Amino acid sequence: MQSRGEEVLRTAAITKIYPDGTQALRGVDFDLARGEVHGLLGENGAGKTTLSKVLSGILRPTSGEVFVNGKKVEVRHPKEALKLGVGMVHQHFTLVRDFTAFENILLGTDVNPKGSGASKARQEILDLSKDVGLGVELDAKVEDLALGAQQRVELLKMLYRKVQILILDEPTSSLTAPETVELFKAVRRLKEEGKSAIFITHKLNEVLEICDRITVLRHGEVSGKIEAAQADRKTLARMMVGRDVVFDLVKEPSHAGEPILEVSDLVVRGNRGEDAVKGVSFAVRRGEIFGIAGVEGNGQTELEEALSGVRRPSRGNIKLGGLEISSLSNNQIRKHSVGLIPEDRRQMGLILDMSVAENSILGREWERRFRGQGVALAWPKVKEHASRLIKSFEILVKGPESPAKSMSGGNQQKVVVSRELTDDPDFVLAAQPTRGLDVAATDYIRRLLLKTRDTGKGVLVISADLDEVLQLSDIIGVMYEGKLLEVGPPEKMTRHKVGMLMGGVKE
Amino acid sequence: MKASIPTGTSGLLSSVAESAFAAGVGFLASGVLLAVLGKDPIKAFYYLFEGSFGSANNFTITLAYAAPLILTALTFAVGVRAGLFNIGAEGTLYVGATAAVAASLIHLPFGIGLLFVLIVAGAAGAAWSVPAYLLKSYRGVNEVISTIMMNNIALFAMQFVVLNYLLDPARSDKSASIPLDSRFPTLLPPNLTLAIFFSILVCFGVYYYLWQTPGGYELRAVGLNPDAARFSGISPRRPMLYAFLLGGITAGLAGAVEVAGTFTPFAIYTGLSNLVNFGFNGIGVALIGRNHPMAIVLAGIFLGALQAGASSVQIAGISFEIVEVIEGMIVFAIAAPQLYRMFRRRLK
Repeated sequence: MQSRGEEVLRTAAITKIYPDGTQALRGVDFDLARGEVHGLLGENGAGKTTLSKVLSGILRPTSGEVFVNGKKVEVRHPKEALKLGVGMVHQHFTLVRDFTAFENILLGTDVNPKGSGASKARQEILDLSKDVGLGVELDAKVEDLALGAQQRVELLKMLYRKVQILILDEPTSSLTAPETVELFKAVRRLKEEGKSAIFITHKLNEVLEICDRITVLRHGEVSGKIEAAQADRKTLARMMVGRDVVFDLVKEPSHAGEPILEVSDLVVRGNRGEDAVKGVSFAVRRGEIFGIAGVEGNGQTELEEALSGVRRPSRGNIKLGGLEISSLSNNQIRKHSVGLIPEDRRQMGLILDMSVAENSILGREWERRFRGQGVALAWPKVKEHASRLIKSFEILVKGPESPAKSMSGGNQQKVVVSRELTDDPDFVLAAQPTRGLDVAATDYIRRLLLKTRDTGKGVLVISADLDEVLQLSDIIGVMYEGKLLEVGPPEKMTRHKVGMLMGGVKE
Repeated sequence: MKASIPTGTSGLLSSVAESAFAAGVGFLASGVLLAVLGKDPIKAFYYLFEGSFGSANNFTITLAYAAPLILTALTFAVGVRAGLFNIGAEGTLYVGATAAVAASLIHLPFGIGLLFVLIVAGAAGAAWSVPAYLLKSYRGVNEVISTIMMNNIALFAMQFVVLNYLLDPARSDKSASIPLDSRFPTLLPPNLTLAIFFSILVCFGVYYYLWQTPGGYELRAVGLNPDAARFSGISPRRPMLYAFLLGGITAGLAGAVEVAGTFTPFAIYTGLSNLVNFGFNGIGVALIGRNHPMAIVLAGIFLGALQAGASSVQIAGISFEIVEVIEGMIVFAIAAPQLYRMFRRRLK
């Protein structure tokens, strides 16, 4: 065990209760040493983000104390946090898309990017970026930069403000494998310079790789604190979830039947009129999971929308059980025994202001089984249906009348999945089915997809999560810049190969 | 079984508390304004109350104002529930009123006469709301723009119709009056007719549609999240059409209620002066009632009371314009939280 630097940050018994009564943090003690990368691990809703917001001055704690460099401080505003040397890089970047990288870095400082101090500032930023190895085209507009580059701009923005303590909130969630490697290199270099970082994530592999120490949060409490060197995935997962988690899904060999979905030469336009899907062909067979890996934004959304009938392809064919559906709308496609799990569950899958019961019949409200004698809906029947789903899909919720927005992400997704799977569809499209979900919910939904496959249905999984695709798929394809780069069985598509393909690197 | 989901009344208590607080703020602010103008606020509020609730007769005046307001409020509320900002009740009410007068010219016996007037007024209102739907659905024209323009068209078109086809042969300042058999029966002369109960009945109908039928469910689903509704196979067009039609029907009925059910001369003045603002004030009623049909009944009576009380406040030596300002301040204060929520959702 190497010796630790002096303490730069400490919290004592931080409690945060939101105005709606949610207790997000319950007496959290946390500390950070100079030159340390400290992982903050936890499931969604465990309080990671709340804690980081308290530290960076976005939220004020209900009670508890924060010490920076041994001095008790009150951080009332992100600006005050910056003055203390604490800066946060948000999961969803906070850059002005129309501005250049340079302008974004200077935004909020008193240096005018076109004024007198500009050339000096530019030199400083260039030196910084060289020291840390964060290369950025300073004069490119942010909207033209890849997500990895945008993140480097965020980092430089913080470093330019002389931040000593970096808070990185889920920094790898939108990065490709090579970009993640670059980020980790930069973090290590910052560490050598004596800076400290809080690394927030729910990915176990990453904390083990980059962190010195790990603090695990569960339900707003510290459920474990451990040296990374002594930790392993099992221990961490138990701390996170509160029970043992089985990592390896038991996957029976697949028995592929005839094709259920055939896509040929599909071209789909994106919102800006560009071709987002550029001639994609593949087939999903019954009894098989076809996994499409890829970093988000490479045409998967448009592909998903075309297959769901909410975006009309500009060329090519989609056949569902032999029937051409490329020109059908969503409600027509839904008549042909499909289950569609959209990537954006909050926007496309659920009506958050409605109850679980109301959501459980979305799109099925005219079916006889939910109606009474006349035309009216029979709410008791709807609630009964919802209660059945709650029970058989292990949805954690007070009851069918609870609003969907009151549930955790994992349970929201279970509501969507239960609705889409309950009628035994022949073909299931699952887009980013476990994005942002905690370990337990992720595990549950993956099992469910495998079970669906085992009953002879065709399943298409589109996911940016490399592990997910590798774990579930019987056939793997990688999508990059609108094309399906390579398709093959898992034996040929190794983790390394798929990871490289996701970054567009063919070997 | 507890029916808290499908009624849309969750959080009822907190919204009542919020509205009461907002009303207090509105009264306080207008009291301050009156004091600054050198008027006695206590006296003004006393007369406001006296004129609206002070006697059985005054209360019936309140109800007479409330009857059309409740219906135009439904127009706006149904729109909001479907994600629309339909402010076309004003013009649609003119159309409904004109259609009602025209329909009453065919003299029909008691009972059937009123029914016919109501059907024609409702149908005319529904028809009048179709262009805004078509423009929105097929051309993407924002309904705020189209309904405002339809309001203006209605104003002048209905003046034209009244002047040229419906004029009272004996008087040049108003249309022919609706014959007795086609009016709402009077319960307590001179002001209380069945109209207010008819309006409340329509509220129940709209409520039933929105929360107890698949069509109403789709309408609310599209209003709350059109993306999710569409992804689940609900084509957004049909609910949108129904929202416009239902809004048109209620506004058209409001026109019929105003000419066939209240103490005005059972006719339309040539400048439509006895019709103006009932549509726009309905928006305020809907906001106060949180776009819920049942709460709108109470909100309509509240605004009706402000209007009924207005004339007696003038007795206290406060000019009509100031009374209007006070009314506006109170309505705005109560509606503000709801407006804020609606716009926040639209911006998100």
